[in-house]
Amino acid sequence: MSENGVRLLPLDDDSWRLEAYLRRGGYEAARKALTSMAPKDVVAEVCQAVIRGRGGAGFPAGMKWSFVPQGGAGPRYLCVNADEGEPGTFKDRLVLRRAPHALLEGMVITAFAVGIRTAFIYVRGEYALVSGRLEEAVAEARSAGYLGPRVLGTDFGLDVIVHHGAGAYICGEETALLESLEGRRGQPRVKPPFPASVGLFRSPTVINNVETLAAIPQILAHGAGWFLGRGVAKDGGTRLFGVSGAVRRPGIYELAVGTPLRQVIEVHAGGPPEGRSIKAVVPGGLSAPVLKADEIDVPMDFDSLARSGSMLGSAGIIVIPDGTPMLDVLHVTARFYAHESCGKCTPCRIGTSWILKAVRRLRRSGGSPADLDLILRLAEGIRGRTLCPFGDGAAMPIRAIVTKFRDELERAVAR
Amino acid sequence: MSGLKRVGLTIDGLKVQAAEGTSILKAAEQAGVVIPHFCYHPALEIEGNCRMCVVEIEGLPKLEPSCSALVREGLVVRTSTERVREARKDVLAFLLAEHPLDCPICDKAGECRLQDYYDRHGLTASRMVEPRERREKKLAIGRGLILDRERCVLCTRCVRFLRQMPGTGELGVFERGLRSEVGIFEDAPVDNGYSGNLVDICPVGAITAEDFRFKTRAWFLARKPSVCPHCGRGCAVTVESVSGYPLAKGERRVYRITARENPAVNGFWICDLGRDGRRDIDEGRHARLMKAGVPVAGLSWQTALADVAAAIRTVPGPERSAGIAVVLNGRLTCEELALAKRLFVAGLGLSKVYFADRKPGSADGLLLTAERLPNGRGVLEAGFAPRLPALDEIAAADVLLVFGPYLSEHLAEEALAKAWAGIPSKFLFSAHEGPLDRLADIVFPVAVPAEKSGTYINVDGTRQTFAQAVKPAAGVAAESAILAGLANLLALDAGGGDAR
Repeated sequence: MSENGVRLLPLDDDSWRLEAYLRRGGYEAARKALTSMAPKDVVAEVCQAVIRGRGGAGFPAGMKWSFVPQGGAGPRYLCVNADEGEPGTFKDRLVLRRAPHALLEGMVITAFAVGIRTAFIYVRGEYALVSGRLEEAVAEARSAGYLGPRVLGTDFGLDVIVHHGAGAYICGEETALLESLEGRRGQPRVKPPFPASVGLFRSPTVINNVETLAAIPQILAHGAGWFLGRGVAKDGGTRLFGVSGAVRRPGIYELAVGTPLRQVIEVHAGGPPEGRSIKAVVPGGLSAPVLKADEIDVPMDFDSLARSGSMLGSAGIIVIPDGTPMLDVLHVTARFYAHESCGKCTPCRIGTSWILKAVRRLRRSGGSPADLDLILRLAEGIRGRTLCPFGDGAAMPIRAIVTKFRDELERAVAR
Repeated sequence: MSGLKRVGLTIDGLKVQAAEGTSILKAAEQAGVVIPHFCYHPALEIEGNCRMCVVEIEGLPKLEPSCSALVREGLVVRTSTERVREARKDVLAFLLAEHPLDCPICDKAGECRLQDYYDRHGLTASRMVEPRERREKKLAIGRGLILDRERCVLCTRCVRFLRQMPGTGELGVFERGLRSEVGIFEDAPVDNGYSGNLVDICPVGAITAEDFRFKTRAWFLARKPSVCPHCGRGCAVTVESVSGYPLAKGERRVYRITARENPAVNGFWICDLGRDGRRDIDEGRHARLMKAGVPVAGLSWQTALADVAAAIRTVPGPERSAGIAVVLNGRLTCEELALAKRLFVAGLGLSKVYFADRKPGSADGLLLTAERLPNGRGVLEAGFAPRLPALDEIAAADVLLVFGPYLSEHLAEEALAKAWAGIPSKFLFSAHEGPLDRLADIVFPVAVPAEKSGTYINVDGTRQTFAQAVKPAAGVAAESAILAGLANLLALDAGGGDAR
């Protein structure tokens, strides 16, 4: 868990206060970076730590920063993706509630490394309580000189603006987030150009997840080697694993990247309640293809889960117990993606709804096993055919449910 | 172009050269490989939403939309592999799953991308069991445009056009997912001078014009290029008409005027004034010769022209300069102006050659110019110094020849009538009915620009030659024929062959 006590999520009650954060050595990493390091050395350190994007895509953060063009007269922006919407995921909410200053310190370091003077935090619309606390933390940090025109008494300045989303899942997709932040309809943009070169207000932009940024101070404080050593070879640090569903102790567990999924569920979250057993597990937010009970002996890092045909994603683990009809799981999944499709790309707009219609027919027992083939065919028509990862995120879990639980679904339909 | 590096790539086995920054779709088009698409439009920002234009690029795991993927040196692109064809079929299946299939009553039928592509790339049986979403089918969105949301494929060409071209942005996409729909903002309908282009660019029958709806079918239309005569821009247009079947024999109707691409003048667009020029061709026209304000059947313009020649002959040579007045206009082609110059100035030695045209309006900063005549530059190039006549300058004439009905836009009708009353012989050559009709001895029906061939020079000095787009009615003559005929009757050389 946390040898030598370094935790992203502190346990003390007032942990979100600046005072408490400073007691834990807060803002020392930022001081180190700003007063003793060149920006490019900060980028190099973070690259070495191999911290992969905690939002779900798993792209190495340091590499993302290095894509921002050097020089140029115009502004650059940092956008914090706090639009946590992936079903089964609730880790960023906890970071914002318990350690908002870790996020702000990570932002200071990132902004310094990339040459950014304005940062936005795009907070999910439903996170009202959380964002109140966040705004308080921003105000605290500003008045104490950790943000503002002269951060830590240096020439470096950083403004932080908290922006509220309006509850669309798609705005967690980075380019849709930018559109929304600019005041437009939240829909993904054509890539390339990538945000690192043409992002917010057509300027170079770094977009990182809350948990990713909140972990940056650890890298600066303890070194890239230390950070990488906590995870696996190509995936450093600890992750906040969210466990929900049929477990005795649902919650967020801060564990080393690469901790086996079974261990997270059975040891840390206490396993399924008395008399129940695990039927299936969604390992990384709803978009991650479901694993059957006999597939959960897998290390929780990006590459291992990719090899097992699923993905680590946002590390939101949903435990599905025996007795849960997979047709219901299929229905909930199909309904979510049909509801949240932004409607921009043809295959996703119509395909997700068509799948939902077919699943509803199955539930009304007006369907036949052939409809399962139709659902698979429709999912194939979406997968890899859309602008943003939403299409894959919808098609892959649906395909996994239908193929892995085909027998059960066919029995259910025949009934 | 010289500043742009050119790169070489392979598209469907063809070696293709294209400028850096060109999309694969465009490069393919230049090489003659057509890639189907809905949302892509060469003049609009790339949106990449329809997913119809996907292609296979060697080395890339996914199919790429060719509208947004740019050419690169050495790229190997395939546009009709099994995977690509599957993907297109899927897109068509998706679109058609939510499409009303009301082609038999859809005005776009016959020129609809969805229909054409289904024919070429789809031809799948329906797998959709559930009923389609029901949506608004005739929503008036302003300027005589009707939106059918069931037919809409959400390509957003209309939304992007309004934001980009007139910059008015009246349309937006509302709601999300399958519920997404194009619409206007509350109480703010489409209201700009370029609204008609929405019908042109809609790839399906989602936006149609009240003016065209249910009037004819696309396959009956003869489409002929012409140049718009309604301002000094000279936009490229297509005149779309039906002659005969399914109309009555001998009947002709121009159903619409659409924009024609001309990068040097108007790009892809025309203004609503020009589009409405359909009425100028079909409405308020003189069908036959009029004498003393009354239409005369069975009298040809050739015969009546003898009266004009006779009137001119009554004025002795030395007195012609002051005794004969001519009013020309800037709708005449360069060829006609040259004829008029030779006939009236060089041949007859007239000094009273005036011009009367439509009053200028206001320019809109886009295409529409303040000048509302197509050939103002042509008038100057022909060597005229155009000037509106004063009333007494007309009144003093013995013979008056007026081309066009525009004098009445500048001079009060009553004063005109009074001045004309004292002129022994006055002839009007006009395509349209107007207040001057009852004042002239003879009114000759003449052709509108779409019925003529000739050349206009636009405000920027661009010289555009056009051919006849629609045939005039029997008995209607182009001014060129009238001028040449008059020269013949007067035994003057008006320039020989080109006069016909």
